[in-house]
Amino acid sequence: MNNILVTWKTHSNTLRDLQHGINIAQNSGAKSLLLLTCSQNFYPEQPLNFILKNCPIPIFGGIYPMITHQETLIEQGALIIGFKENYDVSVFADLQNFKNEDTLEALINNTLEAKQNFSGQDNFLMFYDALINNVEDFIDCLFECLDHGITIAGGGAGNIDFIQRPCLFTNSGLLANAVLLVSLPRKLTTSVAHGWTKIEGPFLVSEAQGKTVQSLNYRPAFEVYSEIIESTSDHKFQADNFFDIAKNFPLGIEDINNNLIVRDLILTTNNHLQLIGSIPVNSMVYILGGDTNKLISSSEKAAINLFSTPTKSTTQISMVFDCISRVVFMEDEFDKELQIINKYCPSSSLFGVLSIGEIANSESSAIRLLNKSTVICSW
Amino acid sequence: MTKALFIISLQHELAMAIGNKLDLKAMLKVFLKVCFNRLDLTSAHIYVHCNHSGVPCKLLPLENMTHQHLLSIPKNKRGQPWPQNTILTRFAQQLNDSKTNKSFQCDNGQYLFGFIIPDHGLLIFETHYAIENEVQKSLQPILKKLATSCYTSIVHDSLIKEMHSRQLIEDKVAYQAQHDGLTGLFNRQHINYLLGNEIEDAHQNKKIGSVLFIDLNRFKPINDSMGHAVGDKILLTLSNRLHSLSSENIDIGRFGGDEFIILLKNLEIDYQETVKQLIEKINLLLAIPFVIDVHSYKLTCSIGYVYYPLQSSTVNNLIKFADIAMYEAKRAKSQLGIKYQPAMSDKIKRRLDYVTDMKQGLEQDDFKLYYQAQFNHYGDIIGAEALLRWQHPVHGMESPAVYIPIAEESDLIIAIGQWVLEQACRDIKKLEKLSLPESFNKISINISAKQLMQHDFQDKILNAIKQNGIAAERLGLELTENLLVENIEDSIKLIASLKEKSIDCAIDDFGTGYSSLTYLKRIPASVLKIDRSFVANIAQSNDSAAIASMIISLGKTLNMNVLAEGVETEDELNCLKELGCYHYQGFLLSHPLPFDDFLQLLN
Repeated sequence: MNNILVTWKTHSNTLRDLQHGINIAQNSGAKSLLLLTCSQNFYPEQPLNFILKNCPIPIFGGIYPMITHQETLIEQGALIIGFKENYDVSVFADLQNFKNEDTLEALINNTLEAKQNFSGQDNFLMFYDALINNVEDFIDCLFECLDHGITIAGGGAGNIDFIQRPCLFTNSGLLANAVLLVSLPRKLTTSVAHGWTKIEGPFLVSEAQGKTVQSLNYRPAFEVYSEIIESTSDHKFQADNFFDIAKNFPLGIEDINNNLIVRDLILTTNNHLQLIGSIPVNSMVYILGGDTNKLISSSEKAAINLFSTPTKSTTQISMVFDCISRVVFMEDEFDKELQIINKYCPSSSLFGVLSIGEIANSESSAIRLLNKSTVICSW
Repeated sequence: MTKALFIISLQHELAMAIGNKLDLKAMLKVFLKVCFNRLDLTSAHIYVHCNHSGVPCKLLPLENMTHQHLLSIPKNKRGQPWPQNTILTRFAQQLNDSKTNKSFQCDNGQYLFGFIIPDHGLLIFETHYAIENEVQKSLQPILKKLATSCYTSIVHDSLIKEMHSRQLIEDKVAYQAQHDGLTGLFNRQHINYLLGNEIEDAHQNKKIGSVLFIDLNRFKPINDSMGHAVGDKILLTLSNRLHSLSSENIDIGRFGGDEFIILLKNLEIDYQETVKQLIEKINLLLAIPFVIDVHSYKLTCSIGYVYYPLQSSTVNNLIKFADIAMYEAKRAKSQLGIKYQPAMSDKIKRRLDYVTDMKQGLEQDDFKLYYQAQFNHYGDIIGAEALLRWQHPVHGMESPAVYIPIAEESDLIIAIGQWVLEQACRDIKKLEKLSLPESFNKISINISAKQLMQHDFQDKILNAIKQNGIAAERLGLELTENLLVENIEDSIKLIASLKEKSIDCAIDDFGTGYSSLTYLKRIPASVLKIDRSFVANIAQSNDSAAIASMIISLGKTLNMNVLAEGVETEDELNCLKELGCYHYQGFLLSHPLPFDDFLQLLN
């Protein structure tokens, strides 16, 4: 028996069509709705709020740069998944007001208390505003406060113009500065891949603050970075092409088990490098490079790894949180990544988002913020 | 090369994470978080050595201390606090015992790595992989640095605690210096201080203020009869009620005992009305019964007040004046509050002068005892009441109605009472030497409240009897009904004890105190004296006759003699006789006489 009652998609950017889709999903008898829309739709906020607030069943999801359904990339439009089960949604709102660990901990503990510590709920999807600047603090704090290990997969919502707008769907309307934790009714399994490889390093992060690397090997970070890129490729940095080049050469933080956590570079100022995600002082980083084949190959491995397990059945729901930067990097060839994931997925219920930052468990079970990665999950 | 750089960068990152906070737990948490992320841990834990009070401390050489779980990331495991996790707890114990770093592979494939934080505690990592030996070794200098930082934090924590407790003590001392221990209201010293400031403020800002002196009426009998615990509860309840009146312009303090002071500042042009309203509020607060341990008490108060700087600008004077006005209110039995008037001080001064005169009179033998004979219905003298007379050097013969209340307000009444006792005993001695009529029983003296309250009152009576060598049954004591009921239990014991020693007591002014007849039954007195107010015009007043008749029958029932005071006419005498009262005292039969004249009367 299928766990999804309805999958409705549109390439239209009108709210009228969206409302139509929501009506169809509601009429199917669905108990909760996942709503994923493209930032290109530019839905007017007020009427969208009206639709969300009037939805009689739990609704969650977000506005992402792009969304996917099976092997189709949707740049404009919406996707609605109607579940036959009730999905419980916990909303952590106004996170910009929780600036230190103590207040963040109090917020999380209050929610945990209200939700009986998520007792019996071990599997979650996480939708969050990619432009909140404390998402790593949030996931660290959530991990610390939870009294049991959880399996989690998620991705940052928003627009790639990096202007913060409300981007999360809840029954209270559109939210910015928030995290939605959606409790899943079944066990979640995840598989993570990125496919980026070291081209130079290691470098010691000799100075850093939050998401800014000030120096590498005691030299200005951009100076070191640009020297390496320009000496190992044909790229030359100009005043306005940093991101065009840097999207091909992310940084990788190597952990003790030689795993690389990829960090996207978004801009440079004062010879510093600005990342998506924090980087600790004295950590070791590499400059990474990739090619389409390696990236797709890693996603294939992740898909095989996830979907080849015997418990996977045709009734399972699968979702992909694929970093938007992979599309930017692979351009037209990104379709191949979707095709290959879809190829191994045993059910037709495969959909996803192109996200700004991805969330998954590390091998140690801690919750990590990833960049430029693919998180495939199934429940 | 890469491995070496990795280890160096790991060491640096961990070292940088040490000592970022001063609080021990906060400092260790920062460190643990970095370990957690950098070493890809599943969980991380810190145990610290603690002293017997559970406070983290440095391990001293050769000393065995307990180690206590301090913090973990994540905080719990499957709904269970980590200290309840047997695998972890056992591993921590083994690590503590072995005092060397240890590792252990769990059944689920996870690893536990334990490290000693020199002299301070244990660091335990749970991992899904085996941490390489080189990495483990690289942690050693980090652990030493961590130990140093732990010590710094412990010293810091203890300093913080010490400062905190010192601050608490200082706050407490400051509070105690300003507040009354029982009620929490401002104490006398602080009220004086506040008043000083407020007077100055009133001068500078051309404002008016007021000092209200409040004294509870008849609080002492409650305190005496029900005990101080009840009295204290009443005071506390009242203080809480009064405290509800406090505001930025109203300060409230306990001046002592059942006396309270209210300071009102920044009064406007209608200041008199404001004070009046405040007094009304105070009376309303008192009108609510005080329910203490199922008993309900009703209290009233007397209030005197004074304005500053209009009436005075010194703290002492203002308080004194408000106190004087309060006494006037008490005397006048007014609940409206009385404003201080300079004439009150004049009156007080005259009173003080009068007390001085009395003292001198006592020293110069100006006091005399007069004796008013008491008769039976056959006309025989059965005894006499000793009455004090004072020949004032200026005013001449003073009325006891004037000087006795003044003497009672000061402690002079004790000295006077003692003189009366001794003089009466001396006179009894003289009487005993004469051939007294058979009907003659005793000389009675009046006892005041303050005398009765003295712990050695009975000893003083017995000493006087002994020193003069008189028969105890020749001396009688007269105590007013009101005096007896104020401290009924002690009075009953005292009278019973005196009776055992043949000293009889009479209840004076009976019928005026409205005391419960239940008490009367328990008082082992021998004589009931009908108050003169019921005797006057008894022949014409049915009410007086009815009361006298009731007292007479009460006396008979309780086996007490009944003596009527103030018999001044034949009609009164006959009427009393008809009602069954056979003992009398009054001008009709004899005026109070100097001792020598009394002797002649006896003869």
